[in-house]
Order: sequence, then C-alpha cells, then structure tokens
Amino acid sequence: MMILELLEDGFFAAIAAVGFAIISNPPRRSLFVSALLAAIGHSIRYFLMHFDSFSLSISQASFFASLSIGCLSVFFAKRLAVPAEVFAFPSLLPMIPGMFAYHTLQAIAIYMVCKTEADQLHYINLFYSNGTTTIFILAALVVGVAIPTFLFRRFAFSVTRGNNGKD
Amino acid sequence: MENHKELKSVAKFISDFSTCMMAVGAQTSRIERNALRIAKAYHLKAEMLFFQKTMVMTLWDSRNEHSYSMVSRIKPMPLNFEINARLSHLSWRIHDEHIPLNRASKLCQRILARPRVNPWIVLWLVSFANASFCRLFHGDFISMAIVFVATFIGFFFKQQMQKWHWNEFAVFILSAMFASAFGSLGYLCNWGTTPDMALGTSVLYLIPGVPLINGVMDIIDGHIVTGCCRLFNAALLVSCIAIGLSAILFITGLVTI
Repeated sequence: MMILELLEDGFFAAIAAVGFAIISNPPRRSLFVSALLAAIGHSIRYFLMHFDSFSLSISQASFFASLSIGCLSVFFAKRLAVPAEVFAFPSLLPMIPGMFAYHTLQAIAIYMVCKTEADQLHYINLFYSNGTTTIFILAALVVGVAIPTFLFRRFAFSVTRGNNGKD
Repeated sequence: MENHKELKSVAKFISDFSTCMMAVGAQTSRIERNALRIAKAYHLKAEMLFFQKTMVMTLWDSRNEHSYSMVSRIKPMPLNFEINARLSHLSWRIHDEHIPLNRASKLCQRILARPRVNPWIVLWLVSFANASFCRLFHGDFISMAIVFVATFIGFFFKQQMQKWHWNEFAVFILSAMFASAFGSLGYLCNWGTTPDMALGTSVLYLIPGVPLINGVMDIIDGHIVTGCCRLFNAALLVSCIAIGLSAILFITGLVTI
C-alpha cells in the first residue's frame, strides 16, 4: 500500500518537475535527470512525513529530501558535465512552498478587512504559521541541496570542465 | 596603449558574459568564479560587484599597472539554464584551451542565439505539471482537470503578454486572475470533492521558484545583497499572484470561505 502511494507521489512529482523545469529552458539531456531526482526526492519526503515511525514535520522532511537530491545531483553533474543546479533546482520546484506562501499573503489581506478582534487573531495566527512554514521549508530545501555542493566544492564548480560536455 | 585596448576588450567581453549569466538565473558565486577564470586565462585580475540591475567590474593587468572599470546594465532575460550550463562550459574552455578573445566572443554569441523550447510544448508541459501538482496536494481527478485548463488559459495569456512586453507585475496579476477565474469553477459549479485544492493550485505555476532558491543560495554563499534582491523580487511577484487571486475571490464572492 505504502509502496503504491510512494510510486504515485513520485510519478506526479516527476511530471510536475518536468513542466516547471521547462519554463527555465534547461538542456534537454538534464530534463530526465530532474524528473528522476524530483520523483526520488518527493517520495522520500512523502515517506518521512507519512510513515508512522518517522512522521516528521514538512520542513524536516523537506530537508532530508533535498539533501538526497543534492547528493545525487553532484553525482549526475559530473556525468553530464552540467552545473548541478541546472537539474537540482527544477527537481526542488515541486517542493517549493507555493501554497503556504500564498496562504501567508492571503491571511494578511483578510486580516486587514477583519471586523472583530477574534477574527484578527485567527488570521494573525494563520499568517504566522503559514509564514514560518514557508520560510523553514524554503531554507531547508536550499540548505539541504547546498550541503553536498559545499562539501565537494572544487568538484561541484569544475563539472563543466573538459570535453565531455557538448558544445 | 596596446595594453589598454586589450584590457578594454576583455572587460567588455567579461561584462557581457556575466550580465547574461546573471539575467538567465545563475548563482552569483558561479558567475564570479566563471568571470575570474576567464580573466585569469587572459593573465588579468578582476574584481566585481553585483546588484539586481547593474554590475560593476574592475580589471587589472598582472603587474597592477593598468586598470579598466565599467558599470554595465543587466538586461532582463527569461530564465535559461541551457545558457547557464553552456557559458560555464565555455569559461573552462577559454581557461584550458587558451581560446583567443574574438573567437570566444563569437562562441558566446552563438550560445546566446540558440533557440528556446517551442512555446507550445512549454504550454502543454506546464499545464500537465500544475495538474500533477494538484494531485500532490491530494486533489481528485476533477480538480486536476480544472487545474489543467486553468493553467493552460493562464499560461497562454502570460506568454502572449510577455510577447507584447507588458509590465511584469501586470502580467503576473492578470495571469493569476485568468487562471483563478477558471479555477474557481469547482466551487461555483460544485465540481469534484476538492474545489479548494483546484482553486489554490490553479495559480501555483506562477510561483517564481528559481529566484526563490537562488536568493537563499546567494545568501548562504555570502552574496547577501544580491540574494536579498532576488528574494524581494520574488516576494513582489508572489504578492502579485495573491492580488490577482484575491480580486477573483472578491468578484465571485468566494472570499468568505
């Protein structure tokens, strides 16, 4: 049951990654890698959030998901001679907290037109909870994906060197 | 005098190179490394400073006798990771193969002239992507269909408005409005069991994910000013999305939900 859910999650994450990646016009051969990494990353996140013995929060799970994307992307960067972020960033896009960011701004907009203090407190609460979730997920995603790049710094910045990259 | 001319032409090339990389959405530290690498290949030293719209650079010869400084504008360009990858590769080739300057700038022009992916393919893929995104938030298949059509309409108009060079904020507000107008049909016509997901996801194709990631990346890399600029810009665009969506919520009377 869990396996099926994970596969479904990975499948839709891969489609989402390809579609959001294509907006930034990536090299064709890196598109498949983004899809693969997005599927792996997103299903790791789903697993960590929904599997009973972990049940991490969304930002903690995002951190481990993006850490694994980061490690894999450094590996693929060398093989394809393309900077790691070219496929690491698109594969993070399905995990970008767009919904939370939007709810944050919506809460502050509704707060402005609230009449009673109880309503105001409710929307301030929504603003803070969504806002902190947005910031923490975003930071977790980027720090997670950056750690492997920092660890293998010289390596990560020289992947485009040499003749294995097509001109 | 010869020395000065050479400095000037290399400075021109490096500034074109870096402003392009900045515009297509590369990390600041990568741009800096690539630019310094090119300078080193021509036995020069470079120092540079980046802002959102301009960059400042001073190029020195190896004996610190002559220098050339320039301020260049970063022209807005759509995100393009292929150019990012190819320019990074070109900087290594200049370093390793000692490519002369005029040939290097020809190669650079050739990279910039490469065609983008067909806009129709982009339109279809983005629509499928946003529909799958709706599924990731546990939307049902009817909501996915609504999101697909909403994204298709919104993104189509976004492409058209960008072709007409409309103001970026207006483009984001209007395409959020088009998409959410269709996305709200789930509520208005009682289609599907997850109309909230259909409405919420229908505008998410507009979220500027790459600038958000790049901004945080720049900040932890120590390029705090550029990072904050990118994040602020992205936050403005997210606000535009919220404005467009709220306008539709007020028009349709869904704001009370």
